[in-house]
Amino acid sequence: MKFTRRKLAATLAASAAAAMAQPQTPSSAVPSEELNAARERIRTATDALARQEVPMATEPAFQFKA
Amino acid sequence: MAAIGDDIFFATIPELNARIASKEVSAEELAHAFALRLEQLGPRYNALALPLTELAVRQAKAVDKDLKRGRTLGPLQGIPYGVKDLLSFAGKPTTWGAKPYAGQVFDYSATVIEKLAGAGAVLAGKLAMVELAGGGGYRYAAASLTGPGLNPWDRTRWSGGSSSGSAAAVAAGLVAFAIGSETSGSIVTPASYCGVTALRPTYGLVSRYGAMALSWTLDKLGPFARSAEDCGLILHGIAGNDGKDPGSAGKSFYYTPQYARPPKELRIGYAPADFSERADTSARPAFDAALGVLKEAGVQLVETKLPAFPYDQTLRTILAAEQGAIFEPLIASGRVDELADKAQIAGLRASLDVSAKDYLKAMRIRRLIQKAFAELFASVDALVAPGRTGPAPPIDQPLIPLPGAAPAAPPRASGFSGLIPAGNLAGLPALALPCGFAGRLPVALQVVGAPFSENLLLAIGKEFQSRTDWHRRRPPA
Repeated sequence: MKFTRRKLAATLAASAAAAMAQPQTPSSAVPSEELNAARERIRTATDALARQEVPMATEPAFQFKA
Repeated sequence: MAAIGDDIFFATIPELNARIASKEVSAEELAHAFALRLEQLGPRYNALALPLTELAVRQAKAVDKDLKRGRTLGPLQGIPYGVKDLLSFAGKPTTWGAKPYAGQVFDYSATVIEKLAGAGAVLAGKLAMVELAGGGGYRYAAASLTGPGLNPWDRTRWSGGSSSGSAAAVAAGLVAFAIGSETSGSIVTPASYCGVTALRPTYGLVSRYGAMALSWTLDKLGPFARSAEDCGLILHGIAGNDGKDPGSAGKSFYYTPQYARPPKELRIGYAPADFSERADTSARPAFDAALGVLKEAGVQLVETKLPAFPYDQTLRTILAAEQGAIFEPLIASGRVDELADKAQIAGLRASLDVSAKDYLKAMRIRRLIQKAFAELFASVDALVAPGRTGPAPPIDQPLIPLPGAAPAAPPRASGFSGLIPAGNLAGLPALALPCGFAGRLPVALQVVGAPFSENLLLAIGKEFQSRTDWHRRRPPA
């Protein structure tokens, strides 16, 4: 089978796009309800944080040393 | 070779020092006895990750030579100890308790191990831990490469985690002391369940160079030992500035019990609900009696409330974001599925969902928490609460609810229920002190202080232990 340069470029572009679109490795070891429960725990935590008022001037608790 | 009785395996560091100094036992004999005991009995509690018997004996021979020449290095010289398998030790496997890292070998040793070697302490073995220190949130005690940590007081009960092996090995007299780590509860919990004294130092006081990172802004290393005094001697040896740890506070620690303030000058905050409604019924008499001991010592117990913040949620968000970044390659490769615990795998996978906005919100709340605790410690010198509300749970009991299960009932009273996440968020030191039994299982107090108040906490611990003998009790043979 002969490949023109145009066909080759199209094939490469398609496979690169497919690779980029591939989702993160799916887990075979974890049932989806377990993953959903873990995501729910994170969501509940961030919801609680959203309700906490923080003065605008408050900087995050990092300490950078130069 | 002198006959070595069981007593020596439960001796404090000063007692071991006295036996070595009087030539009742040599460092080599001591190392040999402890290392063999660790190798033989460690697996009984799933506490051993890697025996280092030959190396320990070699190190101890060098100690004996030094002592013969009059080269003394301080109280840790010749004392056999173990480290949680989250610390790298050059040329030997460092598994982090997890199957994906079972073959991992570093070519350098953790700063803590280097410091202890410099002080003449003898490394007898590496100790088991919950896989990846459990940051993903594990459901079962079996979440470890070495199996569930079994409690020396009752092997049908959990030793606690994630420093399972460190606590169990000290409790069972397999090492004279051990090094563990805490991100949120991993020192205080196993110390409470196994009935040993342990110290979570202020964030940044002990170098974490060479330790597995779970959360850069929360991880701390600290000692498990036989007494508050032992913890002070060990901390003296391992604390200090380290340019190789970006989180190092640049501070030293000198154990100075001679300058301790008298108990009657101390105001200690507590929440009565912690010792009644929140405590397991079986543990209440022990907790009540422990408060009584502090009162007898002259301490002023002051009813106190923790500042109101969503501690647990703030900690969970920070931990998830940081561990997600740290273990992203493991998660993306799919090898995270090799971990033993499904909830832990799910938790690690889900941790990638935390947004930068939520992480920063949590870190800003953390700033408010630090400020609120600084204000609280202007009115009290320390806080006291149960280490855990009751004794160690059965080995197969779920530690977090099953998916779809009804959420746990809210606590009957809040008390200091957020003290472990709060203390870790604010980087505060905590001392776990065995304070009695619930049935046949030990329970403990935790005493928490302002940043860098370790000498105060150790003085409170020493006073408590001069009036009680819970820290000297031994599990069944």
